[in-house]
Amino acid sequence: MATVTNWIEHLSADEPAGAVYPGVGSEGILVLVLVVIWIGWTVISAKQESDKLQKLARRRPGPNDWKNNVTDG
Amino acid sequence: MTDEISALTTIFTEFYYWITVVLMFLIHVGFCMYEVGASRYKHHQHTLMKNTMLIPLVTVTWFLFGWWIYFAFPTGPGIAPSIMNGSTALITDDSAFSAAFFTPTSDIMAVNLNDHITGVFWAAFLLFSWTAASIVSGAVIERITTFAFGILAIAIGSVFWSIDAAWGWHFDGWMLKILGYHDAYASGVIHAIAGGFALGVLAVLGPRIGKFSSSGEPRNIGPRNPWLVTIGLFLIYTGFWGFYAACNIPIYDVGGEGDFALGKVYLTATTIYVTPTTLGGITMNFLMSLSGGLLAGYVIAKGDPFWTYSSGLAGIICASAGNDLYHPIQSLIIGMIGVVIAYKMHYWVERKFKIDDAVGAVAVHGYAGFVGLIICGFVLNGYPSSGYSVGAMFDGSTYATINPLGQFLGALIMFFVLGMFPGYVIAKVLHGMGKLRIPREVELAGLDYETMEAAKEDEKAVASSSR
Repeated sequence: MATVTNWIEHLSADEPAGAVYPGVGSEGILVLVLVVIWIGWTVISAKQESDKLQKLARRRPGPNDWKNNVTDG
Repeated sequence: MTDEISALTTIFTEFYYWITVVLMFLIHVGFCMYEVGASRYKHHQHTLMKNTMLIPLVTVTWFLFGWWIYFAFPTGPGIAPSIMNGSTALITDDSAFSAAFFTPTSDIMAVNLNDHITGVFWAAFLLFSWTAASIVSGAVIERITTFAFGILAIAIGSVFWSIDAAWGWHFDGWMLKILGYHDAYASGVIHAIAGGFALGVLAVLGPRIGKFSSSGEPRNIGPRNPWLVTIGLFLIYTGFWGFYAACNIPIYDVGGEGDFALGKVYLTATTIYVTPTTLGGITMNFLMSLSGGLLAGYVIAKGDPFWTYSSGLAGIICASAGNDLYHPIQSLIIGMIGVVIAYKMHYWVERKFKIDDAVGAVAVHGYAGFVGLIICGFVLNGYPSSGYSVGAMFDGSTYATINPLGQFLGALIMFFVLGMFPGYVIAKVLHGMGKLRIPREVELAGLDYETMEAAKEDEKAVASSSR
């Protein structure tokens, strides 16, 4: 996984490679993982929010009921 | 880097942009405080969470495609040829500054010892993206779903603002060449587009329950925490200062670039268009336009704190298009004009079209930015829009000079074409899916109802255990 194992050798080269992160060459897979995380998060969080809103809507709290839940003090 | 001068220049530039990024984070902190201060108690936490979550959503999508769009779209595509490769197609070949280098799989989109600048430049633009999305966030508080806002934030933050930046802010942008468009500190590129986008969303989203009486008269739902609003706006001012610095290139040899061909080295700070300016001069203009906005806002709003502080911001936004060249007194007067128009427009649109813009975002950013672009066309009429070849309007192969018609057309493109229209269409689609607005019962109860209820139960449990 390590792209650089010896800094002296790496920087002594005529044209040292700039990319030094682990797994150089696997950027496509990393991007794919990021897309999956992004889409997956969107789907899961959307469902969570929808469920939460519907549950609260069914309870029909009054417009002033929230005042009973103020915890300051 | 193997010689000290180039190393110093590179590291200075890297550090310069890094500082601006940190400063610009204060814009987002300010927006969060401002919105929470403007929202009602029962919606506070949701308001904050919604604006917070745009950070990861816009960041991820900016990494995936927003940054690529900026470098791919300067030609339109199909409107004006690139000065880098002579083609009107998307710039994806191997020419300099091609989008091919800024894909998420590129090895310069990471720690790269041969490229110190891409990362900080990417980050600076990303902070601009957050700002564009955050402007929309304030307008829609207390009734939009987080899901819908996330989609809209990605649309404005990673797609449409990125296209407008490619068209009107990139040194190779077609709007500079065809229209002579000039917008040094983003009156239109950030503010008019985000304000227009917010207006498009609001037209579909509708007002908060109770905002309008049955006869259509608007009711004031004022800020619930004026102190938080004040601190929030002061932080936005501070971050905006960093934004101004981020829009400049700190040190550049214009003598060897473009049409200047001076035959000598001439080092200066430049705008993003590679036209000379000074950090000192734009700082004076920033402060004078802020002052003009505050002065005008105080009078027109009759000392109302919410509008006075917002007017300071609107003043800067209005003068920003030309603050690279204006005299400070011109900046002040332009800021004042922008505030008066934005304030009047806000209440006219509210009454006429029943638009509930909870924080005045469309006015402060949209209308002030729109007006600022038009004024810039008159005051800077005849200046080159770019550091490259000066030519005629609508020619396309050269860069037109700044002119009133070009700026007016540019303002229309920013506010309506890339702002309001996409905002309206995407909001319509989300509305059609039933995902745009929270249920009426939840809006009345408060978005924080369950969180607050849980906190009360927790407190009860703690209290009973300590008897």
